[in-house]
Amino acid sequence: MPRLLLLLPTTTYRTAAFVEAARQIDAELTVASERPSTLEPANPAGFLTLDFHNPERAADDVHVFARKHPIQGVVGVDDDTAIVAAAVAERLKLKGNPLHAAVAGRDKHQQRERLAEAGVPIPRFARHMLAEDPAEVAKTIHYPCVLKPLRLSASRGVIRADNPQGFIRAYGQLKGILAEPDAAACGEPAWQFLVEEFIPGYEVALEGLVVNRRLHVLAVFDKPDPLDGPFFEETIYVTPSSVPAGLQTAIADCAERAVRALGISEGPIHAELRYNERGPWLIELAARPIGGRCSAVLRFGGREQGAGSSVSLEEIILRHALDMPIPSLQRERQAAGVMMIPIPGAGKLKEVRGVAEAKAVALVEDVQITAHPGEHLVPFPYGSRYPGFIFARGETAAVVEAALRDAHRRLMFVLESS
Amino acid sequence: MTAEIRITAEPIDNQRCKFMVSEPVLAGGVRRFAAADEAKGSPLAEAIFAIPGLAVSELIVSGNIVTVVKQSAAPWQAVGKAVGAAIRSTLGAGGQAVAPARKPATGEASALTDDALYEQVARLFDEQVNPMVARHGGRVELIDVQDAVVMLRMGGGCQGCGMADVTLRQGIEGMLAQAVPAVRGIVDITDHTSGANPYFQASKK
Repeated sequence: MPRLLLLLPTTTYRTAAFVEAARQIDAELTVASERPSTLEPANPAGFLTLDFHNPERAADDVHVFARKHPIQGVVGVDDDTAIVAAAVAERLKLKGNPLHAAVAGRDKHQQRERLAEAGVPIPRFARHMLAEDPAEVAKTIHYPCVLKPLRLSASRGVIRADNPQGFIRAYGQLKGILAEPDAAACGEPAWQFLVEEFIPGYEVALEGLVVNRRLHVLAVFDKPDPLDGPFFEETIYVTPSSVPAGLQTAIADCAERAVRALGISEGPIHAELRYNERGPWLIELAARPIGGRCSAVLRFGGREQGAGSSVSLEEIILRHALDMPIPSLQRERQAAGVMMIPIPGAGKLKEVRGVAEAKAVALVEDVQITAHPGEHLVPFPYGSRYPGFIFARGETAAVVEAALRDAHRRLMFVLESS
Repeated sequence: MTAEIRITAEPIDNQRCKFMVSEPVLAGGVRRFAAADEAKGSPLAEAIFAIPGLAVSELIVSGNIVTVVKQSAAPWQAVGKAVGAAIRSTLGAGGQAVAPARKPATGEASALTDDALYEQVARLFDEQVNPMVARHGGRVELIDVQDAVVMLRMGGGCQGCGMADVTLRQGIEGMLAQAVPAVRGIVDITDHTSGANPYFQASKK
């Protein structure tokens, strides 16, 4: 039975999905996290504690561990662990990305430099130090622009500015976010930020699997809610995309060029692209799968494709890492969608009403409230933790989107203002 | 009455799903059904075993939690509503939804086995598991052992913890396999959505 090293930060939403996928494929599992499990002494082969901020040291630790418990595959589930997975794969000669490619997938500035060099269409960008005088920086910028932290996830700290006054205001907000302990822990990247040209257009997300340097598109999601700022909180993802087939091909080509430019050779990617009258633009690409619990909308294979039971995205990722056969990379025929429930405001969550009513909406398959009672909800741009997810499936993307919105209208978050 | 029953589904994996019901289904006990013929006399169990295409292999009812184990490959998002409808219609009809567990006669083999297993598992939880999870403010409560299947509930820092599945599958399951190899499975009947103080909390996209 092959042993898989799964790099699971304690803050991930992905634990259950990946642990279940490992069970489905009968893999022996070692779970590595940045903080120790209290049960580690009871199952030394099943747990490992690694410093995710130091990929080289983590790879050394895994190398030692693997002498006793040989490892056949390694998978990271988010931006940070994708880098650690690459370092481990290089060190143990396992399937994975080169470390430089994973780093470029994580570092927004390095990523843009490589993409620009390769001629991949991306917004114009410049890196600035937080220590610079924002009034001076504001004079040098073309508007509208978008300020972005180099390392944070889920659009946290991403703010649009339409003029110098807006830039200075956005700079102040971003500076506050980068001073927060979790952001400041990034070190040098937290002293810098990107200023990027705002690209108007329709945004899509592309989920893919890179196999031997070739991108296989697993799904293209429409994002029907306009993402024009000032903050960029995600809401609905629906697939299949309504974008015309020719344009989808251009979008996939753009993503594949980015994959090649960054040197990504194996494993999942998640890309965000926009398109307008000038064609597709790559906004972000990460060497990891789609985040949150959104992957639950994706199912592959199944009887309709003559491939037996359908499999999850996580199972495909683990099978790929372990060189096991993948039944299908073809998504099911039905349309599917997920809503990342918008953060309803700032305050302590008392209760959520209407969950049963939301679940009762036709086509809605599940409503998962991930915020717990007593949790402090923090709106964008300071926060980024969605309070839950709504899932729906149906014949067309349009009816799925309507079901998600209908279900969301039935939810009521009761907060104590803070 | 039926419309007032609220049910929250919490899939554990593709085979198992917990349904949290807003009113007690079986107060003060646990009942496990491993086959449709065991469901006779318990309308809720009969209704769930009868759901077409679901291929239910196990059903556990405890307090206001109904845990369903199925063989069907269909995802819970697609089939969970049928279970919810069965729960609503049974509770809405009034009367006893689940008959209390029959007390096995003294000396009956399965009772002896489960009783013996209960003692061993309880000792393992008391002496090893709970002292370990207590370091994160957690606790694991043994609810029952039926047909060599352990039913447990997580509390404190474990309830709603982002790493609860890892604790269960990588930790407790392995400890049980070593210390009490006769155990055939574990079912977590925790309502993780109500955990107010999880030790690890998911926060990243």
